[in-house]
Amino acid sequence: MAKTVLIVDDSESIREVVNFTLQNEGYDVLVGVDGEDALKFLDGREIDIIITDLHMPNLDGLGLIRKVREMDAYKHIPILFLTTESQAAKKMEAKEAGATGWIIKPFVPAKLLSAITRVIR
Amino acid sequence: MIDKFKDKFVEEALDNVHDLEEALLLLETDRQNRDIIERIFRAMHSLKGGGAMFGFNDLSDFTHHLETIFDWVRNGKLQVSDHIISLTLESIDHIRHLLEIGDLKDSQDIQSQKAFILKVQNVIAQQNNTPSEVQPQPVTPVVKQEKDDGTKSYLISFEPEQDILKNGTNPFFLIDDLHALGEAVALPFFKALPNFSDLKVISCHCAWQVILYTAAPINEIKDVFIFVEDECKIDIQEISSGNILTNPELKQLVDGSISSNKPLVLTALQTIKQENKQVITQEETGSKKKNTLKDHKISSMRVASNKIDELVNLVSELVTIQAQLNLYAENSGEPTIMALAENIQKLSRQLRDNAFEISLIPLQSELMRFQRLVRDLSKDLGKEIDFVIEGGEIELDKNIIENLIDPMLHLIRNSVDHGVEMPSERLKAGKSPKGTIFFKAYYSGASVIIKIIDDGKGIDPEFIRRKAIEKGLIDAKLELSKKEIFDLVFLSGFSTRDEVSDVSGRGVGMDVVKRKIGEIRGEVAIDSEIGKGTTTTLELPMTLSIIDGLLIKVGQNEYVIPISSVEKIHEFVNATISNTLNNILSIGEKQYPFIDLRTVFDAKTQIEGSEQLILIKSEDKIVGLVADQVIGEYQTVVKPLGRYLKKHETISGASIMGNGNIAFVIDTNRLIHFQTIKRRKTN
Repeated sequence: MAKTVLIVDDSESIREVVNFTLQNEGYDVLVGVDGEDALKFLDGREIDIIITDLHMPNLDGLGLIRKVREMDAYKHIPILFLTTESQAAKKMEAKEAGATGWIIKPFVPAKLLSAITRVIR
Repeated sequence: MIDKFKDKFVEEALDNVHDLEEALLLLETDRQNRDIIERIFRAMHSLKGGGAMFGFNDLSDFTHHLETIFDWVRNGKLQVSDHIISLTLESIDHIRHLLEIGDLKDSQDIQSQKAFILKVQNVIAQQNNTPSEVQPQPVTPVVKQEKDDGTKSYLISFEPEQDILKNGTNPFFLIDDLHALGEAVALPFFKALPNFSDLKVISCHCAWQVILYTAAPINEIKDVFIFVEDECKIDIQEISSGNILTNPELKQLVDGSISSNKPLVLTALQTIKQENKQVITQEETGSKKKNTLKDHKISSMRVASNKIDELVNLVSELVTIQAQLNLYAENSGEPTIMALAENIQKLSRQLRDNAFEISLIPLQSELMRFQRLVRDLSKDLGKEIDFVIEGGEIELDKNIIENLIDPMLHLIRNSVDHGVEMPSERLKAGKSPKGTIFFKAYYSGASVIIKIIDDGKGIDPEFIRRKAIEKGLIDAKLELSKKEIFDLVFLSGFSTRDEVSDVSGRGVGMDVVKRKIGEIRGEVAIDSEIGKGTTTTLELPMTLSIIDGLLIKVGQNEYVIPISSVEKIHEFVNATISNTLNNILSIGEKQYPFIDLRTVFDAKTQIEGSEQLILIKSEDKIVGLVADQVIGEYQTVVKPLGRYLKKHETISGASIMGNGNIAFVIDTNRLIHFQTIKRRKTN
């Protein structure tokens, strides 16, 4: 069965690139424009992985990750975050919030896909 | 494939730049506001990240440096200063340039970007009191390929923390990844297991050792653990070159290790003899999934504006056709058709409303330009001015907003230049040295009212009157109300300043403002009080292409009056009105001036029996229009007039009627305005 990916990013162009790449690979894709928007998809439906940006209005990536980790249904779901910072601090913060891994922007489609297959198969 | 999204990125980046600019201007007045700083940081961050993704490397590089400043601000290491704001605003212009041209090619451009970056870096350097120290670029973890052609065997010990499963990591995948690098044997070890009753499903009590034979460099092995390196003990040791897995002695060691639950020791492995064998190349794991269209939900989307124009246009056509259908249905008297026509009318109205709602955009999107103007201009002139906005969320047809910008810029420029005084002057007048320009927008019926209010020195009506007399625009003996005097400003040939100032003298007078606002069926008026300030009021329709009109007949022709301006209709017996003196008619206790449309449009024929007085609200007056017949309410599509009729003073457009005839749309405000002037002249 096709895996469902929830992508969350306030940048439309990034959303489109991710969405296009993933659909091409046969993933089901749900799209949220920010953390707040993403929460509406977390209504019990089956989602295999969340890919979220960190800097977003309303509810940012860290906030989203923390919220997801409190939800019984999604407590242990893999979450990757998109980041441009290679600084350890940002990554540590997101990891501590409960992220599974990260994808460094800029990325090429192959890198995105390999990051995903690192955590879901 | 990235190119495909490049346009989208530029469009979005421009939005980000816009947002950035807006936030910066807000920051200027509210320098500690964390939300604003976050917003700025976020916009820069998107520009940087997106820039790098979509091949705008210079942009990404540049924003990176800029972002550093705001990262420092965000972390309290740096205070927002005038210099930072000015430099960032300057940077915004540079970013726009970069978005336009892509990466810099011209060597001069490259030099100037370098100089610019240095300026940005200096902000941080000065704070540090150290010479400019370049922040390292964020390095993507691209693994450096080691020049190593030989294959090697590794012993990898991997001991995850108990909590590793919690955050969605699956250690088996990591073992799989190692397998994918070459040939591998994985040995599991159980750490001290708790009692069964204490055992938690979500805890990991397992560790692994993997013997891997691979051609991949060690960094690629490390890369497998990149997400979990902080949550695991990982130890990667090279055993030797060549493949240890083919060594028969290895089996003994491994078996011993498993039965004793004791990890393998590197030195033990290194002592056994290895044979060289061919590397097993990495196998493709996982077959490609089919490309299928999947369910994909987006809560909002961006549409090209010409598509919306087209939609509105089509809806307009539909509304016209629907009106024809209605007319036909009513005339036919056939119940089925009438019912159908009614339904279509209902639907097309909804469709029309929807289409229009789509084409409305909030004023907000343009306000920042005004804000920037006030800021830059007041700085140039040495004035201190706050630009306060209220009602930025008010929505208007995008065509109206587009046409509104230039006149608005002019009006605001006027307020900054002529309205608000210099700080010293203000102090003398007992005002605070800082002036305010207040931008206020609100709905009023089907119109939108925009007011630009400054607390400057105001305009002296007497001065305007004298000027108008001097210029021969009015007669010296003419008695004028205050409002009428301020209206003189809009006459062409009127300019209150003799010397053209550098700021406002751009060849656009208030007459042009008035005309431009008139072109979008708007009205503009000025009110002012000496010493207190000036208020410019714009009244604008919400949309341009469709109006609810009142269809009237004058002579042979039909005309449309926007219903929003109609107050009341009175019917009179034929010739009652025509026989009145002075064009004043008493209704009840009130007297109304009126304009006979039959005279205006030179219509000879009259309809026997009765004539109609339509009371129109124009600005603050009520004026009657006389027509032969009122046909009824009529929703109509306004089409612009062609070249020959465009300059007509009182007609703002035309509409195609159900029967194919053309009805002109009367611009009541201008009609009344021009008739008033005409009468004044003849008097």
